[in-house]
Amino acid sequence: MRGRTAAPATIDLSVRIYTWFLAAYPARFRTEYGLHMAQAFRDLCRRDFQRGGFAGMLTLWARTSLDLARTTVEEHIERGLDMNREKFVRWSGWALMAGAVLFAAGLIIGSFDSYDMDPIGGVDAFYEIGQVAGLLLGHLLFVIGLLGLRTGYAGRSGSLGAGLLLLAVFGGVVSLGGLVGMSSVEAGWLAWMGGYLAMTLALAVFGIVAVRRRVFSRWNFAPILAGVGIPFLFGIGMVGVDSVSGQAPEWGAFLAVVLTSVGLILIGYRMQAEAGRTGEVAA
Amino acid sequence: MAEAAQGPEGFLPLTPAVFHILLALADGEKHGYAIMQEVEDVTEGQVQMGPGTLYGSIKRMLAAGLIEESDDRPDPTLDDERRRYYRQTGLGRTVLRRETERMAELMALARRKHVWAGIGSRSILT
Repeated sequence: MRGRTAAPATIDLSVRIYTWFLAAYPARFRTEYGLHMAQAFRDLCRRDFQRGGFAGMLTLWARTSLDLARTTVEEHIERGLDMNREKFVRWSGWALMAGAVLFAAGLIIGSFDSYDMDPIGGVDAFYEIGQVAGLLLGHLLFVIGLLGLRTGYAGRSGSLGAGLLLLAVFGGVVSLGGLVGMSSVEAGWLAWMGGYLAMTLALAVFGIVAVRRRVFSRWNFAPILAGVGIPFLFGIGMVGVDSVSGQAPEWGAFLAVVLTSVGLILIGYRMQAEAGRTGEVAA
Repeated sequence: MAEAAQGPEGFLPLTPAVFHILLALADGEKHGYAIMQEVEDVTEGQVQMGPGTLYGSIKRMLAAGLIEESDDRPDPTLDDERRRYYRQTGLGRTVLRRETERMAELMALARRKHVWAGIGSRSILT
């Protein structure tokens, strides 16, 4: 009789202690699985007590202590990594939105500069400095935003989508480098435009992947919108629509800037809204 | 281990815990404790998973789409209805098959190299 009453008491005490130890796990994991872990531990206690009595319980506790120590550390590390990725994707979404606004503002402010060929800070200094600051900061934020886009969405975009996002990041970096070196290196212009074209083209094609694979929960057309404007501008610039000189018309430039900015803002908005769901899963 | 959007090959090689859980679910859905028991039984006690290892693996396998929670709840008179039952997904079945094939290829290689003579024999290295 005494043994029978001791058994449930020992098991209850063990389960209670185990439940206290569960507090060491990250809250989300504990909420999701704590009850089931305690239930599984109770079943193990019953079995091992039946098989080996107190000695069996001691062996179980030795095994379980090691399991607890190892998996609490694992879960905390994993949770930390997820949180860092989640934060980065969220903040890079904001960066993409801010970059789009600054970039458009820089171009619009620059359009008021009536002396294109004078050095920065000369005539119309406000417009020139505003343009340079807007474009530089905008590009820097594009690169951060695109890195976040790749971090959060490469896993669900397949190898083609992930490659295109990498190309977009690379294009953004080249474009930023070109912009920085433009005043001192002649090839700076080429790097800026080439990088920008590569970035937007990669985004446009990624948009097709996004629509087909439903990469975002909504607005999967946004990368197409963000990416189609600049290649379109290059296209009409090359065929010389509405211009004898072969330059793109102003309405075309305006449309390209608006499309790019709106598309990037939509992508950035989705990134910061969905950051919690973008953790790339691993088994 | 691998990104969810990758193909089955991206999950290989599986960790022992993931492999044994998939194997335990090969013949039907089971709850956590039943998985632990099955793993211990089939490995003759060589693999003993604690609740932390089991549910940590289950969490990652659910996220990766290798297993899913079963909607069917047991008859409350037969089992605790709070228990969660898990089953393999199509991806989980494919990954398990590929992992088994990968291990079979390794064993064939070991036989060709005369490291191992086959099931029931001991390694000549031991």
